[in-house]
Amino acid sequence: MKRVLTLMLVVASVAAIAVTAGGATAASAKKQDTNLSGAGSSFVFPLVSKWIPALGSAYGYNVSYAPTGSGAGIAAVTARTVDFGASDAPLTADQAAACKGCVQVPWALSATSIAYNLPGLNCILRLTGPILADMYLGNVTVWDDSRIKQINPKCTLPSTKITPVYRSGNSGTSYNVTDYLSAVSPTWKSKLGVGQSVAWPAGVGASGSSGVAATLKKTEGAIGYVDVAYALANKIRFASIQNASGKFATPGLRGIDAAAASLPKKLTGDGAFSIVNPPKGNPLAYPISTFTYVIVPTSSSKAADLRKMVYWAVTRGQTFGAPLLFQKLPLQVQAFAFKQIKQINS
Amino acid sequence: MSTLTPDPAAPAAIERRGIRLGDVLFKGVAAVAAVGVAAILALLTYKIFALAWPAMQEFGLSFIWSQDWNPTTNVYGALVFIYGTIVTSFIALLLATPLSIAIALFLTELAPKRLASPIATMVELLAAIPSVVLGLWGILVFGPWIAQHLEPWLQSWFGFLPIFSGDPSQAGVLPAALVLTIMIIPITSAICRELFSRVPRDLTDGSLALGSTRWEAIRRVAIPYAAPGISAAVLLGLGRAFGEAIAVTQVIGSGNQINRSLFPPGDTLASRIASTYQGAGSNIEVQSLLYLGAILLVISLITNVSAQVIVNKFQKARRMSTG
Amino acid sequence: MSAAEITDPYDITAKSNNLGRRRRTQQLVSVLALLSALFAVFILALVLGTVLYKGLSQLSLDFLTKSSALFGQTGGIADALVGSAIIVGMATIMAVPIAILVAIYIAEYAGPKAASFFRVMLDILNGVPAILVGIFIYGLLVVGHGQSAIYGAMALAILMIPMVARATQEVLELVPRHLREASLALGVPRWRTVYSIVLPTAIGGILTGAVIAIARVAGETAPLIFTSSIVTSQGVSLDVHQALATLPVRIFTLSESPSPDDQAAAWAAALILIGFVLVMNILAKYFAGRKRKSLEGV
Repeated sequence: MKRVLTLMLVVASVAAIAVTAGGATAASAKKQDTNLSGAGSSFVFPLVSKWIPALGSAYGYNVSYAPTGSGAGIAAVTARTVDFGASDAPLTADQAAACKGCVQVPWALSATSIAYNLPGLNCILRLTGPILADMYLGNVTVWDDSRIKQINPKCTLPSTKITPVYRSGNSGTSYNVTDYLSAVSPTWKSKLGVGQSVAWPAGVGASGSSGVAATLKKTEGAIGYVDVAYALANKIRFASIQNASGKFATPGLRGIDAAAASLPKKLTGDGAFSIVNPPKGNPLAYPISTFTYVIVPTSSSKAADLRKMVYWAVTRGQTFGAPLLFQKLPLQVQAFAFKQIKQINS
Repeated sequence: MSTLTPDPAAPAAIERRGIRLGDVLFKGVAAVAAVGVAAILALLTYKIFALAWPAMQEFGLSFIWSQDWNPTTNVYGALVFIYGTIVTSFIALLLATPLSIAIALFLTELAPKRLASPIATMVELLAAIPSVVLGLWGILVFGPWIAQHLEPWLQSWFGFLPIFSGDPSQAGVLPAALVLTIMIIPITSAICRELFSRVPRDLTDGSLALGSTRWEAIRRVAIPYAAPGISAAVLLGLGRAFGEAIAVTQVIGSGNQINRSLFPPGDTLASRIASTYQGAGSNIEVQSLLYLGAILLVISLITNVSAQVIVNKFQKARRMSTG
Repeated sequence: MSAAEITDPYDITAKSNNLGRRRRTQQLVSVLALLSALFAVFILALVLGTVLYKGLSQLSLDFLTKSSALFGQTGGIADALVGSAIIVGMATIMAVPIAILVAIYIAEYAGPKAASFFRVMLDILNGVPAILVGIFIYGLLVVGHGQSAIYGAMALAILMIPMVARATQEVLELVPRHLREASLALGVPRWRTVYSIVLPTAIGGILTGAVIAIARVAGETAPLIFTSSIVTSQGVSLDVHQALATLPVRIFTLSESPSPDDQAAAWAAALILIGFVLVMNILAKYFAGRKRKSLEGV
């Protein structure tokens, strides 16, 4: 018995040594390959997934990305757990201070679709901002509500209960949607406001863009907000939303482009460009479009590589976006991005 | 007796010193390990309270009965989650306790010997299912079944009760409570089973000899005898239910309100921490989540310590009465 | 009420006049107890059956040897399997020696008050929710240093220690006094007695406790979410200074996905995890048998 004990102890120690040694060699081996790790927004994950192999063949970078949500991404890069963070919501003043010398660079542009589960609906659903706000406030509870019927004369709407789906935890997509809802509904603005997480009064919470898509797919009568790439990938139908010009716009490339056209020609500030609810004059503009940002520490051991990566993303990387409904960055935003990138490794 | 030849069993002078050294070292290392583990427990408690302290200062005790959880205005309160924790855990307890006692009785008293062992193994295996797998099953199988069959059925029969009002939902307080029930049945029934098997045979035999049926013997003798242990088992199951984060967060739907009905989503202390902690936006949000953690720690400790106090008190009483 | 129907409560030979009702109650209770037990078995069969049925079809060599993928793909669980093995292995190496030492202190050296204190302490530690252990390690170590497999292993070790220590302490107390006394009477020092005689006799119980703890902790998700969830390597990694993919966290992530492929992968991963836990439980029963035999032998 004693021999068994000693044998086990020896095996255990050998295993421990092997594992730590293996870990050490793996770590040192990895240093020859440049590893860039990132975490954050699930919104931008589809596009980043396309960038990862391309960056590998362009520069030999071994980029990895964990779609943990914008909030967790900001927290991770602040704690320097990862090399870069990604968020659809711009950094708040507190977060920027906590990050200690981080710069935020807009690196992609897309839209948040309002997706729904009404099987067999015989038309494309149209919604307005105020109705959407009331759905999430719990004031509009069934699909055949008169207000919805009024703007959808061609649709046969069932009397199913409306289940609003929101993101649990902190999410940049939530920031985008609440930004829009605050702009179109004074009740929303006063009661709940804008934020990565608000006190959602009605509906079901789900974790991550994946979770929202999953809940949408299995709950009849559900409505939720999710990056348009997720809606497309999971074949979930999304609604046309009425913009300030009175037209019902779809979250396609033209709608996103028109929304971004509302930006001034010269951009200043720290990068927090909100393009929700663009003013009248852009009939195609989709009102729930958003930029999404990469958050990079200005000085780190990988600053030079991060600079190259982000520069590639805002130039060459933009060509990968179209099939996923990521619109190319407008020129003034790209120019702003270059200005921000110059601060990395300066 | 003066020794002419040295006593072979007596240690030599140098050996005597060596033995003491070995003993001292060994005891010392063991003591360090024990104290170290105690220190980890103390450090854990301290750390959670220390990290939560700024939120405790900010909100004080009114945090416990405030229903606000608003990351935009940075006003936080725990009531929604305390309510969720208590409701899910107590429903689980209500359902699991009679089932566990019945299972334990079945396995110790009423089952034929051949059947008892395999069924006992299977109940133990229920405990071995990891909570994330139970949650997976909850999301993909149990939740939809509850929304499509159980909740409508409950509403059609008992819909006059406010707890079964409202619309059925795949994610909600009821699915979470039922998943917790499944999790605590094995724990409670295993302890009850041990308790019933330790009831002295002569007590139940005496009752039977006086003409009672098996059930009457159990009801009048075994259960009262095991009652303190059963309450300890119930408390341990409750503690487990309080602390379960993963399976609950998968099926409870991250609700922000207190509802009278069990159908809509809600949230518990552990589940809110699990879903929100990593992405928390501001320091005060992180600290408030840790305040929730501190509350969870306190109620877990209270249930655990109560279970132990009950066991110790009655063990002492029993030892004294049986002499 | 006629005189013949009034029964003397002290006459134990008198037939009870409600025997029929009491017998029926007895039968009802038996049936209810049986149904309860069958209900538990039914739930078990339901969950395991679903996991088996939905997971088996997804299991393939590919699934077991490839790693997690990018958006739109499902990929395999090779990285999670390796990561879990490494983290659980490290946790075991950290926890078991410490737990045995704590148990030895309680069972062999501590006075009655100290023993009682440490026993209570272990039970309290056992009752701390796993998520709080995860937050503790997160707040203590991950903040500022980043996630790593080592921190994950430490969190799991804290969960394992009370289980193994309690099991070890109980079996140490089962070792008969006369073994120890005989050894001490022969002049064997105290520490040698424990190490060479008491421990080997108790080894069955210790192994049972350890294996049960491993099975328990292999499925723990909450502590790993805080210490080893932001996985930044593609493919199987052995770097313990980084976060590694683990089976429970992978199942958790896949469980919330809308894609049927991801869901199938979740079932398959769950099947593997349950399979591992079952094997551990069978192993524990084997060791428990050996413990009984070795203790009976003395």
